[in-house]
Amino acid sequence: MASDGDPPVLAGAQNAWDMLSEEQSQKHITTGSGNINNILGGGIHCKEVTEIGGVPGVGKTQLGIQLAINVQIPVEYGGLGGKAVYIDTEGSFMVERVYQIAEGCISDILEHFPHSHEKSSSGQRKLQPEHFLADIFYFRICSYTEQIAVINYLEKFLGEHKDVRIVIIDSVTFHFRQDFDDLALRTRVLSGLSLKLMKIAKAYNLAVVLLNQVTTKFTEGSFQLTLALGDSWSHSCTNRLILYWNGNERYAYLDKSPSLPVASAPYAVTGKGVRDAVSSNCKRVRVM
Amino acid sequence: MAAAGISGCGLKRHCALADHEEKEMMKDQCGRFWNGMDLLKDVTENKHFLPTGLEGIDTLLGGGLRQGQVTEITGPSSSGKTQVCLHSASYVAARHMGAVMYLDTSNSFSPSRIANITDELPISLVQEPRHVRLKRAMSSIICESVFDIFALFEVLHRLELSLLNDKVNNVGSKVCLLIIDSISSLLAPIIGGKYLQVQVTNHMVSAGNGALKPALGESWKAVPHVRLVIFRDHGSNICTATVLKHTLMASGRPMKFVVPS
Repeated sequence: MASDGDPPVLAGAQNAWDMLSEEQSQKHITTGSGNINNILGGGIHCKEVTEIGGVPGVGKTQLGIQLAINVQIPVEYGGLGGKAVYIDTEGSFMVERVYQIAEGCISDILEHFPHSHEKSSSGQRKLQPEHFLADIFYFRICSYTEQIAVINYLEKFLGEHKDVRIVIIDSVTFHFRQDFDDLALRTRVLSGLSLKLMKIAKAYNLAVVLLNQVTTKFTEGSFQLTLALGDSWSHSCTNRLILYWNGNERYAYLDKSPSLPVASAPYAVTGKGVRDAVSSNCKRVRVM
Repeated sequence: MAAAGISGCGLKRHCALADHEEKEMMKDQCGRFWNGMDLLKDVTENKHFLPTGLEGIDTLLGGGLRQGQVTEITGPSSSGKTQVCLHSASYVAARHMGAVMYLDTSNSFSPSRIANITDELPISLVQEPRHVRLKRAMSSIICESVFDIFALFEVLHRLELSLLNDKVNNVGSKVCLLIIDSISSLLAPIIGGKYLQVQVTNHMVSAGNGALKPALGESWKAVPHVRLVIFRDHGSNICTATVLKHTLMASGRPMKFVVPS
């Protein structure tokens, strides 16, 4: 198919021009907060691995759950209409909260599309919190070997469930902090995991979101907060979002991206889920 | 022919060869030799450079990436390594210098960023509308994702075959730049071909005492011909690059450059 002037394309490769039109037609997964969507270039990207890190309590799990719900927003309302895989390593997935966030998402859709009940009854039927919960595939992981096993199993699982559009691991760090005495082994295992996740994201055209914890590191003469799992892990994602506190407000900072500049955006965690920060005097919201 | 069973770098003798046959075969196998003056002439006159398009880096490298050399770019996370790769690919493609093969291990190849960079490049002497130039340039950048070392070996093998078979070809479509971003993800040695410039990125890992050093260890140090370290100032577009190793220029000189947004 390549004409004489074009370079020979090896099987499996694509040229950048073809990839451009594919990339421009990609839909992104909304985070619930317009400000965060803007710094991410529309939302969480499919075919990429995004790492989200932050101190405990800043809202990582809330954002993870929000994404598991938002990926399911039907296509006719501007979403991907996909399903979610949620891999829980810490036990922080609270089902009642997920139900609450699903309700919040549905009420926002109906607010934006007030005439939806006129359009199609099947669309209306889909908008029940029960359906949103039914389309989240939940794995509970209790050790690092289970974590490796589930990621290996994912390829087979995704081949059978082709409508999954997001895989969330909450958190990727937990089981790798306690048991590992051999740090070199840990680095090898983690870099193997990250390559597998990259491959899955690309092959099945889905978003992989990894939640990470923070730790302290001694650099330049003082202790600083940094993401866990070390320097070698910091290269294992395509994008990185860091959630932090600025006084009483929550902020998201885009730390790494191949195509977007670094930027910060404020956000809030409300009863309905992750949303834009309303005013500069947001109180620190304790969820449930 | 008596030379059945030649494999790898050794010669297997299957039956006794006549003296002159043996000499002919050995000469074919070990290739031609050069004398010192030929080498100097090749280095000084046949200066085939591929600029990256980023002024500071090109100055540090004495013109750009050199033909037949491996250039390594190393730096901590988010310091600009992928941006240097994307800039090189865009510049080379836009200037008709040849095709670019981009091997991506972390799904960081961004076509929209390439389009962005290509559009920002100064208008070339050839009068052509922007979208035509964009299409032509982007069609000569080929991207392939590799996620393990065996896939990398296979891609490199196919590339080598296609380069050997395409000896007589117009300049525009022959691969002249191979970019691997990033090799430390795959932990592998790579080939530096005679007609190819190779640019790789590498990670930085802890060296103890809070310092950072390039990954892949002591044995990798000798492989690239040129090594650059990049650091990015926090929260800005200004990066500092320092030469760790270079065949012609002194190392240790830092240079600031800006990654345009």
